[in-house]
Amino acid sequence: MTGLRVLVVDDEPQILRFLKPALEASGYHVVGAVGGREALRAIANTAPDVILLDLGLPDMDGKDVLVEARKFTTAPVIVLSARDREIEKIAALDLGADDYVEKPFAVGELLARIRAALRNRTVGATPTAVIEVDGLIIDMEKRLVRRDSAPIKLTPREYDLLCVLVRNAGRVITHGQILTAVWGPAHKADTQYLRVFIGQLRAKIEKDASSPRIIRTEPGIGYRFADG
Amino acid sequence: MEPERDLDRRPDPDALLALAGRQARGRLWVFLGAAPGVGKTYAMLSRARALKAAGEDVVVGLVETHGRGETAALLDGLEVLPRRLAPLQGRTIEEFDLDGALNRKPRLIIVDELAHTNAPESRHPKRWQDVEELLDARIDVWTALNIQHLESLADIVSRVTGVVVRETVPDKVLRDAADVVLVDITSDELLQRLKDGKVYLPETANRARQNFFTSRNLTALRELALRRAAARVDDEMIEQLRRGAIEGPWETGQRLLVCVGPDALSQEVVRTASRLATGLNASWVAVTVDPIAGRDPDPKEGKRVDEALRLAARLGASTERLVGADLPAEVLQYAQRENITQIVVGRSRAGLLATLMGRSLTSALVRRSQNIGVHIVTGDSTARGRAIPSWRAAMKGLPAALLAAAGSTAAAVGVGELLALWLRLPNLSMIFLTAVLYCAVQFGLRSAIAASILSFLAYDFFFVEPLYAFTIAEPQEFFALLIFLVVAVLTGWLAGRTRDQARNARENARTTRSLYELSRKLSGTASQEDILLTATTYARKSLGARSVVMLMPEDGEPRLAVAWPPIDSLDPGESGAARWAFDKGEPSGWRTGTLPAVRFQFRPLITPRGSVGVCGFEPTDPATPLSPDHESALNLILEQAANAIDRSTLAKEAVKSAALEENEKLRITLLASLSHDLRTPLASIIGAVTTLQQFDATIPNEQKRDLLASIEEEAGRMSRFVANLLDMSRIEAGALKPKRDLVDVAEVVQSAVERAERAFPQKLVSVSSARDLPEIRADANLLEQVLFNLLDNAQKYGGEGPTFVYANQSGGEVVLSVTDDGPGVKRSDIERIFEKFYQGGRVDGRKTGTGLGLSICRGLVEAMGGSIRAESPAARRRGTRIVIRFPIAERAARARGVL
Repeated sequence: MTGLRVLVVDDEPQILRFLKPALEASGYHVVGAVGGREALRAIANTAPDVILLDLGLPDMDGKDVLVEARKFTTAPVIVLSARDREIEKIAALDLGADDYVEKPFAVGELLARIRAALRNRTVGATPTAVIEVDGLIIDMEKRLVRRDSAPIKLTPREYDLLCVLVRNAGRVITHGQILTAVWGPAHKADTQYLRVFIGQLRAKIEKDASSPRIIRTEPGIGYRFADG
Repeated sequence: MEPERDLDRRPDPDALLALAGRQARGRLWVFLGAAPGVGKTYAMLSRARALKAAGEDVVVGLVETHGRGETAALLDGLEVLPRRLAPLQGRTIEEFDLDGALNRKPRLIIVDELAHTNAPESRHPKRWQDVEELLDARIDVWTALNIQHLESLADIVSRVTGVVVRETVPDKVLRDAADVVLVDITSDELLQRLKDGKVYLPETANRARQNFFTSRNLTALRELALRRAAARVDDEMIEQLRRGAIEGPWETGQRLLVCVGPDALSQEVVRTASRLATGLNASWVAVTVDPIAGRDPDPKEGKRVDEALRLAARLGASTERLVGADLPAEVLQYAQRENITQIVVGRSRAGLLATLMGRSLTSALVRRSQNIGVHIVTGDSTARGRAIPSWRAAMKGLPAALLAAAGSTAAAVGVGELLALWLRLPNLSMIFLTAVLYCAVQFGLRSAIAASILSFLAYDFFFVEPLYAFTIAEPQEFFALLIFLVVAVLTGWLAGRTRDQARNARENARTTRSLYELSRKLSGTASQEDILLTATTYARKSLGARSVVMLMPEDGEPRLAVAWPPIDSLDPGESGAARWAFDKGEPSGWRTGTLPAVRFQFRPLITPRGSVGVCGFEPTDPATPLSPDHESALNLILEQAANAIDRSTLAKEAVKSAALEENEKLRITLLASLSHDLRTPLASIIGAVTTLQQFDATIPNEQKRDLLASIEEEAGRMSRFVANLLDMSRIEAGALKPKRDLVDVAEVVQSAVERAERAFPQKLVSVSSARDLPEIRADANLLEQVLFNLLDNAQKYGGEGPTFVYANQSGGEVVLSVTDDGPGVKRSDIERIFEKFYQGGRVDGRKTGTGLGLSICRGLVEAMGGSIRAESPAARRRGTRIVIRFPIAERAARARGVL
């Protein structure tokens, strides 16, 4: 890898203690911060390429750190948080975080998330025209969806929905974000609505809609389009 | 042919079954007869056998065969409940076992002789009340009744037969019965049966034949029974027509009012009204008017009014107490308001003058009732005897009143004579008028009237020509004197009445004030005990009761809570009555329908949420009922007390739910703290392990060792945490049984410090132990745990400097202390730090521990018999010192001569 800088913001020194060797072994340059203010200073000074942010910081709310950081950086932010902080996770994602990893996590999973986040950053501007996932082929230019050369007919809404997911492939995207992107801000809270459409979409594109592999559910948060 | 044979026709079991159909309440069948011996019991038993044969659950609760063989034979094959033995005047008699029947809970029970009076200690004084309870328990009942025992007919029966009926059954019972079966034979047949010895044993039969079983009596009774049964059939037909929504003339729309007064006639008036109401199929109300002012109510009269009202209630009337000065006006006003169509009133015994002036109640009613019919009942005054005017009441205070009248008149004469000596006054009547007014104001109406008359005479005698004679010379003097008399009587009357009213108003004000005071006291009282105590003393004071008790439910059973004067317990009968009052929400005990032999009367304390308790009072004089004033005062007190109890219960519940909420908060804190404290080390361990797996080849050895070390540290952290949790729960559950060995404190300190140095190598610990420290009684392992926890806290919350551990002796104690150089604890938090889940801030603002460490320390130290407290600041406005003290073990102490 190419010496990309990773900022680890966590108040537990033990976390940095194992992340540092793992990230360095993967070719990243690691910067650590134990508080929110220190993190903001580090972002300003070192312009990290990826930020790993723990939400439970002693001096500042992690979400406030995120809001401040977003004012001067577009670097992907991956939230490190616990399962019982679901609402905080959603809020963080809606505030501009790119993904989250639940503590405790395996290093391999975290590294995959970092790679996905970085890829979206670099590739996101010019999305790949044709995507293939689990036998499903999506041709964004021609607005065509096929499975094993058999065309799948999608309604315009379903197609829009699929596009939002594809554009954020590998990342989690919250219910609110999807609803806002497809149906507009007025429908931000109509989660029920979204479930119905996701169900329809899965029935059309998944091999087995009862155990979906293309559109994964992130319980209580949103959905994640399978990454490659 | 024997008359019973007619009744012995097999009834259709299906029809009987349908009749016995289940309902919310049991159904009552009354076998009605004109006299004993007509075959009621026989009829009941033969039908019961038919039902039993049809497989029905029929039980004989109690049947009196009176030695009649035919009847006794019918009992064969029927289940007969054992009777209850009850003591009566030194003998033991057999009674119907109500509780046995309720426990057996058959579908249908036969209980003979509805009018029977139970032994004094029974739950209910009358058997019909037992039957009511059976019906309430959804048991169908068959019973037998002779017409003479019907309450509303009791006086007629007495008049016709000359036999006074003592055992009566309210008409309501017969009216509410599901069905009435008339068992009828002719008088001659009955007499023949009596002669044949089929009714009573021969010697009894002879006596009976002479007294009661005369042809005339039996015919009269038979007519009454037939009429009553016919009226009942008539009612049923009307009911059916009504149910069929057929237009008909049944709606009488009549409403009767009966005036109840204190005279002896009132019972008869009430019975007449009851019969009239039954005949008219009308609802009726019994009304009495309590005077606003006037002389003190005569207790005997009050009792008569109460009895008449109770009789009316038993006969199915509603009752009403009005208050007012003008009797006819009050009654008529009420009648208009309630759409009364007929008024029944006894011939009043008003004086001749009142009658002439149209002031008697009867004549006033007749004159002023416009479209309301008035029935006047004239009693059989010779036979019943006039109400004896209560001499004692009339005489009460009379001598004083007369004496005052005579005295003040004499004084007036004296003053008049004195004045006449000095100056010549044309008219001295004002002086006498003053005397009359004085009497009126001080001694009331009677004294004023007496003074008027005496003044009239004295004035004439002493001051009117010719002097010292009652004759009058001048005609104008005569008129002046007469006018004086009239004026004197009138002013005396007015002033006397004003005085009485004022006294009444004062009394009312006192009652009101006392009630206000009660409500104020109760509203300022929060604890249930205080409420009960306040209510008890008030009830006792305002009722003038001998004693008052309060019972509060405990597991659904009312238990004695407060008693004044204090008693330890109630006897079983009293407890039973109290329980009845609590369960049924009705009064019980003294002068009620339930357990009247009990010396207390129990009243339930009722709130909209049900009975909250029971109040019992013991009257000073069991022979007199509560006066209306006492009754209403009691009701108010009970209502206030019930509300206050309800309020305190609600308040208690609010506190409890607040505590629950607090608990809930604690639980959430615990969960959050648990998840943090477990997850952080887990995250480190899993992260380090996965790093090692994934990058085994790439990361340098030094880093690998560090990762492994971090795994070990974090695993240790978790294990300490889990151990703390376990300790905590053991302390909380009381399962911790520390050993009480002789422990060398210095040794324990040494091992704890070594452990801390291994766990937190970066933190310096400075130990200073006094030499030759005495031993203490403790558990070495637990004590080490305590010290380790304190050292752990010191490295978490302390500053950069070392932690100091001291151990020395002070008096009879060994003192251990652990001091850090952190920012210290706020004075307000110094005790709270020992609470569960209390967390102090760390230097850098981060939260660390669980908030369990110190509370565990306190739990362990106290379990070992020591004490622990915190001091802050420890030195130079910084630092926290935790001090532990243990008493020196006895053996060691003796050796050192400390003790």
